Amino acid sequence: MVATKPYRFFPHEFPFKFESCLIKNRKGQLKIQQMIFMIIAVLLLFIMVGLFFLSISLNKMQKEATSLAEKNSMLLVAKLANSPEFSCENAFGSNKPNCIDFDKVIALKRNIAKYSDFWGVAKIEIRKVYPNEGNISCTDKNYPDCGDLKILDKNVEILSYASTFVTLCRKEFSETGPYNKCELARLLISSQDKT
Amino acid sequence: MMNKKGQEEMVGFAVISIIIGVIILVVIGFMVNKKDTNLTADYEIESFIQSSLQYTSECQDSLGFVSLQELIISCRREETCLDGKSSCDALNSTLKGLVENAWTVGDQSSIKGYEFDIKTGEQSTLNFKKGNQTANYISGFQSFARNGQDYTLSLNLYS
Repeated sequence: MVATKPYRFFPHEFPFKFESCLIKNRKGQLKIQQMIFMIIAVLLLFIMVGLFFLSISLNKMQKEATSLAEKNSMLLVAKLANSPEFSCENAFGSNKPNCIDFDKVIALKRNIAKYSDFWGVAKIEIRKVYPNEGNISCTDKNYPDCGDLKILDKNVEILSYASTFVTLCRKEFSETGPYNKCELARLLISSQDKT
Repeated sequence: MMNKKGQEEMVGFAVISIIIGVIILVVIGFMVNKKDTNLTADYEIESFIQSSLQYTSECQDSLGFVSLQELIISCRREETCLDGKSSCDALNSTLKGLVENAWTVGDQSSIKGYEFDIKTGEQSTLNFKKGNQTANYISGFQSFARNGQDYTLSLNLYS
């Protein structure tokens, strides 16, 4: 550090010393300006970095919320087939896991308005896998010769489907009498996209 | 002198900017590389095998239409269906139908191939495969026992 001599004003030196004083003042102002600009630049940099991290963390939070909703759907789909509204229970012999009673769910579809918010999802669908009956939507008229049963179908933006394989069983009749007919199907669930 | 000082300040600012840039890049790289575990597929394979075992086949015995699980046991015993068809042939065609309709295999699909295997004890009762068998695969299995005999069904999906 170089110590500067304090400036003393003498009237007889007037034109010269006053000029020198003005130059020194200007220099100081410039330095103050430079410092202000630097502080503003650094502040702007920190604000920009902060905004960048904030946008990243917000984006991450949004993704986490979506992933959580998808995981919930996955967990729900795993247990939905065994819930009383869907499961075969003992109607087709001993208690079968992942077995859906087709007769029961077609009746559920008729009364779905009462259950629309029961599971907290936007869509519940059952698609026959084998035998493949295409995309023929199941109604009371074409049941059971159809391939796609939309149990719950809310008209909202949805997340990706979570699915599991299930056995879709119903009672059939042949010459020898009634028998249990079980087919392979996929149970699909999707939650509402709230993001 | 003033020039030199200005240059030093600029270099300092550039160094700070580079350091901050590197930190941001490292953080982004860490976030992008964080992989999401996929549990769905494993669960789906197991639910597929479990549900397939309950599938009602076209093969009939004296008691009626038999399930796939019963058909596996009949095949082991080398029994025939009421229509004279071998239970092993019925098992083979039913299982192929189930697997091919459940999993789409091909170059456009994420599944490049599969291998299905049924073992009775240590012995393979039925085995069939399709597509390419890559090093990257997921698998699931289900086992059951009947008359002191263990049956194990396994499915590998190659991606």
